[in-house]
Amino acid sequence: MRLLTHNYLQSTVKGTEKGYPLKIEATKIEYEESPFDAEFLRSLIPKIDYSTLLFGIQQISEKLEDSNDIQEGISIPNLPESIENDDLQEDLLKKLHTVLFDIHVIEGDLVCPDTGRRFNIKKGIPNMILHADEI
Amino acid sequence: PSFVPNIVENHRPFLILSFDYNYAKEKFNLDDEGYVIRSDISRFSKIDIDRPTIASVLSRCTLIRSAIELWGAGPSFDTCVDHARQLSSGFGGKMILDNCMKLSSSWKITIHTLGTKFNRDEQNDMRMKFAFLNLPGKVQMVNPTNEFLLIREVELDAKGTPLVRERDNLSPPLAVFFGRVLGGIRDWRGSGRLEQFSLKKRSYLGPTSMDAELSLIMTNLGLVGNGSFCFDPFVGTGSILLTCGLRGGYCVGTDIDIRILRGRSDDENVLTNFKQYKLNIPDLIRSDNALYHRHYRMDKPIYDAIVTDPPYGIRAGARKSGTKEERVRAIPEDRRYDHIAQTKVYPVSDVMGDLLDVSARTLVMGGRLVYIIPSMRDFDVDKDLPNHECLEIVHICYQPLQIELGRRVVVMQKVKEYDPSMKERYLSSVWVNGPESAEKCANIRERLIEAAKLKPGYEEKAAYRKKRRQQTREEKKKQRTKQA
Repeated sequence: MRLLTHNYLQSTVKGTEKGYPLKIEATKIEYEESPFDAEFLRSLIPKIDYSTLLFGIQQISEKLEDSNDIQEGISIPNLPESIENDDLQEDLLKKLHTVLFDIHVIEGDLVCPDTGRRFNIKKGIPNMILHADEI
Repeated sequence: PSFVPNIVENHRPFLILSFDYNYAKEKFNLDDEGYVIRSDISRFSKIDIDRPTIASVLSRCTLIRSAIELWGAGPSFDTCVDHARQLSSGFGGKMILDNCMKLSSSWKITIHTLGTKFNRDEQNDMRMKFAFLNLPGKVQMVNPTNEFLLIREVELDAKGTPLVRERDNLSPPLAVFFGRVLGGIRDWRGSGRLEQFSLKKRSYLGPTSMDAELSLIMTNLGLVGNGSFCFDPFVGTGSILLTCGLRGGYCVGTDIDIRILRGRSDDENVLTNFKQYKLNIPDLIRSDNALYHRHYRMDKPIYDAIVTDPPYGIRAGARKSGTKEERVRAIPEDRRYDHIAQTKVYPVSDVMGDLLDVSARTLVMGGRLVYIIPSMRDFDVDKDLPNHECLEIVHICYQPLQIELGRRVVVMQKVKEYDPSMKERYLSSVWVNGPESAEKCANIRERLIEAAKLKPGYEEKAAYRKKRRQQTREEKKKQRTKQA
């Protein structure tokens, strides 16, 4: 699961007040570089929630410090508190590319900030299916 | 001269389209294979790198077999030859020949005759008619510098089969074309061609995998290109999503079936398919498209293309979250984490309604939804396809499979912004003919079986197949007990 995907996931289990953004308790993270496309990023940034992205980064960086399972050499770039959608410089775009596309949460849980309901992530695939009594 | 792209389709008619040279020179960078083709030297002193080359365009096309620079055309061989003779002796023609032959060291003439077999001698006779061109260099069959195409176009019947009469009474051609191939001949077979995407080479396959050619066509119809944000809500083995990735899209796939998402093993799953072609892996999520709005935030439209093959219950049943029981029982807290959620049958009418509604809401303006729908003979394209106020149908392509059965690729484009308060209204007007239209595709499996039962020899075939299945089961059992 990339942080780009995390940006859209929410929990709407019956009775949840605010199930977004989901907390990330990662037990295994991988890093895989991918080709950078500035054009694509520029059109993508307005579609994401930037504060959720910062929240996601903060969630996984805590685990990166504790966990033994991470690979060597993952360093999360520093990002500004806020960004202007129309004025994105290339070096900022490159940092955004890294956090949005190159970091993968392979194992762990997404946790609802309101109810604590856990959504498991296994082999990089989050399981968002609601049980019959949660719909 | 004009350009003739020649299109070959598997089950469909063979088409020849032609373009005016001026149009082509406007749209394409004709700096082909290292030199510039021009009718007037002064106008093309600067090479325009922004326009695509023919080769780059062809590499995106699935159905186009080749593009040729037309040197002669006519209703018969002789008229075609005369035309070519005239052209090559005129000023423009001499220029083309000179340019063409400058770097040439080898050439060959390939003959395309549809549905008619000509023996070696006959083919050579045809080639010899163009001897007046005096092409320098030697003939080379494999990878020559220049390839020439001689096409003998014939009349086709309604199904696209060439109309061929008796060998002695050969049907005259519709037209004969001769020209120089541009951008390289693209074939299904051969290295570096479409065959590399064939399912036969795929690491992870399932009964629902879409064949590569159709998948590439759907991807093109969805206008997927570099940087397209692509989504497949019924991703399965990822065969359609893969072609979106091949065309440069960023891919997301969801499915309610966790087993198909995870694949058979670490070496055989959706991700390995992507890795096989050196693509970035897609994001996969186990979620229910019927509850898309529950799993995903939808405040902004995000997808450029949604390309999918929805489940119709033919090769895979459609499921959605929830229990079929009347009373929903609460899951005990200690079991909740590992609990495997129940799913229930998802009627096809809802599958399509939800698909259109999710697409209308999550596609950007101008974004496209491309889906496949199987249809039997009684399918009415105007009344039996699902509709949505925010989406407009832009293409419907029909592929016949059997006499009674075919499938359609439907392409819809978002033309109107989605208003969340109108969701009920959108969903209630999906079917012009009510849910009975949806049931036309939902019941295809049963109807095909019924139709098959009426055919002669069905009983014997069914009994034979049953016996074979039993045999295979017993063999597998024996193998397992041997291993144990």
